[in-house]
Amino acid sequence: MIARLVDLARRRADGGADGLWRRFERTTVAFEWGRLKSAGTTEEAGANLRVRHRGRVGVAGTTAVGGDDVGAQHAAPLLERALASAELGEALDLEFPGPPSPPATLPTVTTFFDRAANASLVDLIGIGRSLLARLEREGCRVNVAIEREVTATRVANSAGAAGEYRGTGFGVSADVWRIAGDDVLVVSDAFEGADLPSNEALAALIASINARLDHALRVVAAPEGALPVVFTPAGLSALMLPVTQALSGKAVLQGISPLEAKVGEQVFDPRFSLTDDPLRGGRIASRPLDDECVPSRTLALVEGGVVQRFIYDLETAARAKTRSTGNGQRGIFGKPVPGYTNIVLNHVGAVNDVGAQHAAPLQLGGGLLGDIRDGLLVDELIGVGQGNVTGGAFSHPVGLAYRIERGVITGRVKDAAVAGNAYELWKQVGGFGDDARWTGSRWAPSVRFEGVSVARR
Amino acid sequence: MIDRLTAALARSRAAYTEIRVERTWSTAVTFRGRRLESATASEDQGGFVRALHAGGGWGVASFTSLDRLEAMVARAGELSRAVPVDPPIRLADVPPHQADALLDLDGDVRGQPIAEKKRLLEAYNGVMLGVSDRIVDTLAVYRDEVSEYWYVNSQGTRLHELRPEVTLSGTAVARRDGTIEKGLESIGLRRGWNSVQDKAAGFREVAERAVQLLDAPMVKGGTYPVILDPELAGVFIHEAFGHLSEADFVYENPQAREMMTLGRRFGKPVLNVGDNGAASGLRGTLPFDDEGTPTQDTALIEDGILVGRLHSRETAAAMGERPTGNARAISFRHPPIVRMTNTYIAGAPGGGSFEDLIGDVKLGVYACGAFGGQTMLENFSFTAAYGRMIRDGRVAELVKDVVLAGNLFQTLDRIDHIGADFRWNQMGGGCGKAGQYPLPVTEGAPHVRIEEALVGGEVGKA
Repeated sequence: MIARLVDLARRRADGGADGLWRRFERTTVAFEWGRLKSAGTTEEAGANLRVRHRGRVGVAGTTAVGGDDVGAQHAAPLLERALASAELGEALDLEFPGPPSPPATLPTVTTFFDRAANASLVDLIGIGRSLLARLEREGCRVNVAIEREVTATRVANSAGAAGEYRGTGFGVSADVWRIAGDDVLVVSDAFEGADLPSNEALAALIASINARLDHALRVVAAPEGALPVVFTPAGLSALMLPVTQALSGKAVLQGISPLEAKVGEQVFDPRFSLTDDPLRGGRIASRPLDDECVPSRTLALVEGGVVQRFIYDLETAARAKTRSTGNGQRGIFGKPVPGYTNIVLNHVGAVNDVGAQHAAPLQLGGGLLGDIRDGLLVDELIGVGQGNVTGGAFSHPVGLAYRIERGVITGRVKDAAVAGNAYELWKQVGGFGDDARWTGSRWAPSVRFEGVSVARR
Repeated sequence: MIDRLTAALARSRAAYTEIRVERTWSTAVTFRGRRLESATASEDQGGFVRALHAGGGWGVASFTSLDRLEAMVARAGELSRAVPVDPPIRLADVPPHQADALLDLDGDVRGQPIAEKKRLLEAYNGVMLGVSDRIVDTLAVYRDEVSEYWYVNSQGTRLHELRPEVTLSGTAVARRDGTIEKGLESIGLRRGWNSVQDKAAGFREVAERAVQLLDAPMVKGGTYPVILDPELAGVFIHEAFGHLSEADFVYENPQAREMMTLGRRFGKPVLNVGDNGAASGLRGTLPFDDEGTPTQDTALIEDGILVGRLHSRETAAAMGERPTGNARAISFRHPPIVRMTNTYIAGAPGGGSFEDLIGDVKLGVYACGAFGGQTMLENFSFTAAYGRMIRDGRVAELVKDVVLAGNLFQTLDRIDHIGADFRWNQMGGGCGKAGQYPLPVTEGAPHVRIEEALVGGEVGKA
């Protein structure tokens, strides 16, 4: 058990220790260019140990752990490496959280689904085949990948806190390629959840790909100017990334968060709220406690446009002289870092069924296109994450975008770029769509902004 | 180990089976500003099995516990049988090889205490911080590894390799009021401890440039003749063209095959492009790929004409071409897929120097270094680290926010002048594809001129 490793470490490290052991089994099926191509399995286990000794913190990780446990012959070298790392490590008042007092149970969240865990290879292949059959069309090629994961996590620390949970994960992704001359078009979508996808979820995935493909077959000229632009839930990344980066305690400590001194201030549109929610049932990122033994809780980051708080793990919290928000994430290698679980973008008036993959049947644009005389619907941008993201300024060529004329989509736009500043745009939102859905671990609707710079290339 | 793997192979009932086992020792040290963020040592080990039954698809198994080797060989076989494939998967012939290739460790990094690595990085980090009080933040990362590697397959190939790698990177952030600029140094070598000594100059240079960029104007957006420095030209050819020459993109996609028909003109006669996994001492260099195929120098574009592509054994068989040794996996966690190694634009003999390229440019942009780049199929966007205007045939003022965006086919066709000053860019980082990142690769090029390209310092500012 990881508790035994931590106990062993406690006897050598005068400031305590914490550790994580994780094991996962993954089964994958891949259909390549329209045909079943491979099936795979992965079994992996590893442990990550952190010690505090003479006021300094060190970390070590290993996959040499043997079977279901960290055996003594593996524990000793891992501990030596963690202590060696601590010799160089920085002095830090890192305090390992004790068990809740009075003793309380961890929050309940369903992370393990028997149906997903028990799905056979034949079931996985069946899902892929049915998807393929419904996506195939003349002149196009389809890739489909199905993935199922079963995980077990154990965490413990020298202050007596501990926890363990099992989880399942299911992923279905499809991309449809159409190459005509030198025009290459790819439309893709994915389902991600802890349980098997429902028939409705698979139908939604197919509808989403088909709708975007249908509109993309016709290429039209790009509009130009300061225009209304609607970002789909997937296209929203360029506008979300600066905000989530700025809300991390790590950015605050580095002095690069534009939101640093803005807690309690109205920074965003009053209808805009953002929550980190590790207790959302059926999501892969959900868990009862984080990777540093801090119990999970739902965390309001922005409420009614007002900044509420930042996320912290134990280390950034210790350095910022605050408390961990339960956002410690650690892999087998390296040290824990603050990270989000499920990011939920909510807005006033939203009717949300945040458990399902989609809140409502697909309607491209989420009902926001009606009164747009000339504008753009952006589904994917190229180069998001490059450059100085945190400042909020962005400028990207479009990967997949559509022209909107007199309220309807008239075709795909190829050679256009959009630019703006995320903070400026979020101050006043043109509208939130009624098409909220999960994109990976982010829940968001389409969002419309007015006066976004659109340039033709 | 080889004996153990061979014994496990012998028990496989599949028509074809291969096993890879890796054991990797690595250390990493990170400084942020004056603060040591972490110094860790890790050990990673595991195995990978791939099996092919007649009429079956690939059965694949990866695992961290070597006790599971025999069970996973059996499992891979079962998985292959469970996925019938028609027409069947064929593999191009590769003669079996037996080799014990211990690459030059050049000062085995495992022999150096981690405190020494911290001292080295602290010195380079200190050089960046010492450049100016405008340098408000730095990020410096040292990473090394030695990987012991075993590969066997049921056709008689038996390989044992020892592969070193060491990377250094530094980011210097300069700030004045609301203006923030950065400089980026990156070194990546398939070598050891000796090769990362005396590297302070590069760290100083990027920090100095970050400070200079604070005063630099934004490049004025528009269409210019653009000269790419060897670093950016290398990144460009890898990202914008290299990925299209990976045969797994085309082999079962008739439209893609048509787009990438051998014999198609891709550029002017001055353009020559290739990928050389056998080049001496580079990060993308290895004696064999992860299917046991020897690496080689593969011509992709010759005198402007598409002449080749990069293959695995499977894609080569499907297209009736020869394997090129480009089936690579980033670790035992992944199957080998078609990847680049060391990709290059060849220098043009008689192409002359940088000065020759800019001599007749009245107004142009010299785009240098790469902060990042992304391609989506035929469209690309690259952010240069910095640029300089070219005025009347001479290098003029420093400019920032140089973003190149465009269409691959048009841009390749507009390369009209290639220098003779070829060099390999030995950078860190790596290439990403299908969830496998970072794969060690190298890019190389001379100075390259594009007669007309869109530079968007103000892309999107309508």
